[in-house]
Amino acid sequence: MHWNSSCCLFIPIMQPLQTTRSTLPSVPASLEQERNSSNQYMSHCSAPALCMGFKGPGTFPVNYSSRDMPKQYRFLLNKDLLWVQFSGLHTDLHRHKDNSLVSISDEPDTLYRKLSVLVKGHDKTVLDSYEYFAVLAAKELGISIEKVHEPPRKIERFTLLKSIHIFKKHRVQYEMRTHYRCLELKHLTGSTADVYLEYIQRNLPEGVAMEIKKTKLEKLPEHIQKPVWDKLLSVEETASTS
Amino acid sequence: MAVDQDWSNVYPTAAAFNPSSVPLPIRMGYPVKRGVPPPKEGNLELIKIPNFLHLTPPAIKKHCTALKDFCTEWPTVLDSDEKCEQHFPIEIETVDYVSAGLSVRNPKARVVTLRVKLSKLNLDDHAKKKLIKLVGERYCKDTDMLTITTDRCPLRRQNYDYGMYLLTVLYHESWKTEMWENEKTEADMEEYIWENSPSQKNALDTLLRIRAAEKTTEVTREELLASGIVENYKTSVVALKNEGETENNVLQYKESVMKLLNLQALQ
Repeated sequence: MHWNSSCCLFIPIMQPLQTTRSTLPSVPASLEQERNSSNQYMSHCSAPALCMGFKGPGTFPVNYSSRDMPKQYRFLLNKDLLWVQFSGLHTDLHRHKDNSLVSISDEPDTLYRKLSVLVKGHDKTVLDSYEYFAVLAAKELGISIEKVHEPPRKIERFTLLKSIHIFKKHRVQYEMRTHYRCLELKHLTGSTADVYLEYIQRNLPEGVAMEIKKTKLEKLPEHIQKPVWDKLLSVEETASTS
Repeated sequence: MAVDQDWSNVYPTAAAFNPSSVPLPIRMGYPVKRGVPPPKEGNLELIKIPNFLHLTPPAIKKHCTALKDFCTEWPTVLDSDEKCEQHFPIEIETVDYVSAGLSVRNPKARVVTLRVKLSKLNLDDHAKKKLIKLVGERYCKDTDMLTITTDRCPLRRQNYDYGMYLLTVLYHESWKTEMWENEKTEADMEEYIWENSPSQKNALDTLLRIRAAEKTTEVTREELLASGIVENYKTSVVALKNEGETENNVLQYKESVMKLLNLQALQ
């Protein structure tokens, strides 16, 4: 589902800050169909991550780790950010220490600039209730909501013959009404997005479909920073001379 | 139901409507003649519809407090779009589909759209023009945005890799200068360049002939080119051709021509 690059964004000095923590209990890969009690959410959620602050105005640390399925818990240290890490992390650590289901990995978290959730259904009142639920859930989880709007409904109509044989003049008309609701969220991390989307999707009512558009932010890869021809030329020269 | 009982214990998950568990006096259905809608006991209409009894606000709050531990915070540095663009120039758009049906999969889910601003890439003038020519319709001049949409591979990951590969290839190819690029004609040029254009030739010829007719000191072409009047004329012509005819541009052109030909303003 994710394709986080496994390489970290900085080249830090890898020193384990704490001992490895107990990992999450093993979770089945496939989503279960039946809906159990609310404890379900805890056992199926992905492991959490840590998002560290930044030190100076110019540099952007991006030294954050993602919450992933059980991995060994290690901190990436960057000498510049040491003080930030300790000051910021202490409170976070304390909170996570109590929750043994939470485990932190060192993979960098993905960033989503925008998450657009479009729900489609035949019944407008169901969509109203679902929108109330989704908005409240987003507010409680601290996700900023950009816009909640209702795109106009679409009606698909078609005409069929009323009788199985002859009687061409007598027809019957059917229509299918599709109502929409769009919820646009902004500035989500990968872990938060996964948690929120899983919660939302598990509570999707019957007869309602959903489309999720994710806009992910990425850095320019290293091979696009500079044109490769200069390096190639020098390599060829050395190869020819040697 | 006891008054102090927690409602989230009655309906912990989605379940059908049970008239004896829900203590509300609900009536639903089409009323009989001069009557009221039927009551909730044995009412199929209430059982058919999806209910949100398991998602009352206190229940949602309870769920969210449990889920909050698994969420991370957005880095406070990236509070505006410009900062996001500055640090993360590439945007990847993917769509997921959730619906009930015979299959969980949706073939539209494999489409990946890559968006990047050309100003963030390390391109020089020639490379940028060549990239725009290579890419064609995928570049939008107003927003300076290159959009690459890939869906030729069966998996989303493959489409993403292909999109990044295309971006890399475009970038490196645009830095190359091929032999046949020397044959670029004036029709291929994206913007108007004044050097070696008919406008320059005409202006310089006219000035030289004026000087020759007045029999003043001989001035060479280079001196004329370097003089301020010709520079003025050049900027006004370039502005007219590249930006189009606006009021400012036309007025500027008029003034530069008057200075060039030494005409007095007509009152």
